[in-house]
Amino acid sequence: MRGLHAAILVAGAGLLLGYGHLLNSYWMHVLIIAMFYAILSSSWSLLAGYAGLFSLGHVAFASVGGYTSALLVQFTGIPVPLGMAAGTAACCLIGAGIGWICLRLTGPYLAIFTLAFSEIIRIIVSTEDEVTRGMTGLHTVPLFNTVSRLPYFYTVFGLLAGSLALMGLLVHSRWGLFLRAIREDEQAAAASGVAVARFRILGFAIASGFAGLAGTFYAHYIPVLTPDIGDLDRMALLVVMTVIGGMERIPTAVGGAIGIEFLQEYLRAFGIWRLEIFGIVLLLTMRFARNGLLTPLWLQFVRLGEVRRPAAGAPEGIGTEASPGGSAV
Amino acid sequence: MIDYFLIQATNGLVIGIIYSLVAVGVTLIFSILKIVNFAHGDLYMLGGYTAYYAITLAGIPPFPAMFVAMAAVFTLGVILERLFLTPLYSERTERKDEYGIIITFGLAFFLRNAAIIAFGVFPLKPPSFVAGVYRIGALVVTNDRLFAGVVGLLLIFALLYFMTGTIWGQALDAVSQSRDSASIVGINPRRFNTLAYAVGAALAAAAGALIGPIFAVAPDMGVLPNIQSYVIVILGGMGSVGGSIIAGITLGEAQALFTAFLPDMTRALSYSNAFSVFVLMVVLMFRPTGFFGRRHLRME
Repeated sequence: MRGLHAAILVAGAGLLLGYGHLLNSYWMHVLIIAMFYAILSSSWSLLAGYAGLFSLGHVAFASVGGYTSALLVQFTGIPVPLGMAAGTAACCLIGAGIGWICLRLTGPYLAIFTLAFSEIIRIIVSTEDEVTRGMTGLHTVPLFNTVSRLPYFYTVFGLLAGSLALMGLLVHSRWGLFLRAIREDEQAAAASGVAVARFRILGFAIASGFAGLAGTFYAHYIPVLTPDIGDLDRMALLVVMTVIGGMERIPTAVGGAIGIEFLQEYLRAFGIWRLEIFGIVLLLTMRFARNGLLTPLWLQFVRLGEVRRPAAGAPEGIGTEASPGGSAV
Repeated sequence: MIDYFLIQATNGLVIGIIYSLVAVGVTLIFSILKIVNFAHGDLYMLGGYTAYYAITLAGIPPFPAMFVAMAAVFTLGVILERLFLTPLYSERTERKDEYGIIITFGLAFFLRNAAIIAFGVFPLKPPSFVAGVYRIGALVVTNDRLFAGVVGLLLIFALLYFMTGTIWGQALDAVSQSRDSASIVGINPRRFNTLAYAVGAALAAAAGALIGPIFAVAPDMGVLPNIQSYVIVILGGMGSVGGSIIAGITLGEAQALFTAFLPDMTRALSYSNAFSVFVLMVVLMFRPTGFFGRRHLRME
């Protein structure tokens, strides 16, 4: 039976939605934050894993989105969802701008450039404390007027599912193929007729938009927003999550984000040691299992229910190992 | 006002020399391994801590402690390079840029958290190299700053001599130009990869040890010099040691004077960093491989 894995995932999601209200407040918070990270890590995997654009400024977009939305709502009094839309749109635009500026940059230069961008955002947000309240934190308008976390849980679940659906459609379309072609060899892609410039800008705009969306949700979920949301430690955590899970597939990146966030809470007794352990695991993953720890599991999972065909079936390298598409959720 | 200006100019010069010392390590590693070492600021931080503990625990005087720090971080550099960077030289590794970025970024995360575990988050202040202050007329500079500037310059000159005047330095240069040709004339490129990484690390450690008595040592002390060293390296050109020195001193001066001439002190301090980072972005926009840089070569 083909598509068994999709059925299992849908069933799992259904169970989570149906019985989510039974979770206690603490674990629901953990789950909400995990899903926030999942949006970030899946969009970073779209940018770094699919298109090969190593942005170290991805969380800076979450910061831009979050602060744009929070400040707009605070100063103009527009409804929160409208502010979130504005924050997301702003991130798409700025992302496209950064993508356009970075067109000629590759590899480490792109990483340095986006690192610089993220530093500038962090410095501006923490210095202009008359507007953003700086390190003391900005009290944001909540998305829902309730003490329960349940509405937030459903909202972030919807955002994550929607984002994953859109990203899944994207990576399975021709556009996804173009992005992967750009990662493998920009010149060869251009020679084969891929509009490299357009798709690099598009990749940046889309991934930054999703990061911004995650940031706007975070801003209206967390009562006090601080510049920490976009700092380098956060970026490092995002890299840890995405790379350990597997940055070349969106589902494994999501799995990495949720797994690491849960481990981080579960191992809270270890204090700072858990970050150190994540660091070691990241280095070992990168050194010995570059595809990520969840990738082999995911590939097995995708094949569930498929009838094993003789090895001569599909030509080697098509459909399985060499296609970082996997199957979107 | 003119005194304040002079003091700021001197401070800027000293900081610029320290930043150059960090940046020449980045540029050396880049020219041989063709990666940007995102963990460089953390090697600088470890240098500062090693010197601190060599002084306070082992009772070594501050100046020899700097060499202890250099030796320790040199060794660490050898170990890290052997453990994690060897896939960069393998034919079978795909997308080496990606590997280099993530592995050094991961090393930075690992080293910073290790430092928080081992040394705590609070800043520690090592004793002075030379106590007291130096006065020429109205110009007052602490001896530590003078000392750091002079020793920093000497170390940079030592590196320049090493790179141009010794056979090992020339071998490094040969490897940076072409690994294949270097191995044809009998240079083992692998050994020089290790040497380049370790020498870069040791220079960062020296900078960390020199800055210790001026500011303090803390686990996150490396973040700012790390980014500043990228600014310097991009301005001075990836792979160009001379360019890094000029760019480093220029940057130190520009920041110190920028801070001196803006009325709002705290804001000036934060924006002087943002400003240099902004310069970096502008340079990258128009010269995607920086000024004076060799064309960016990938590790083949």
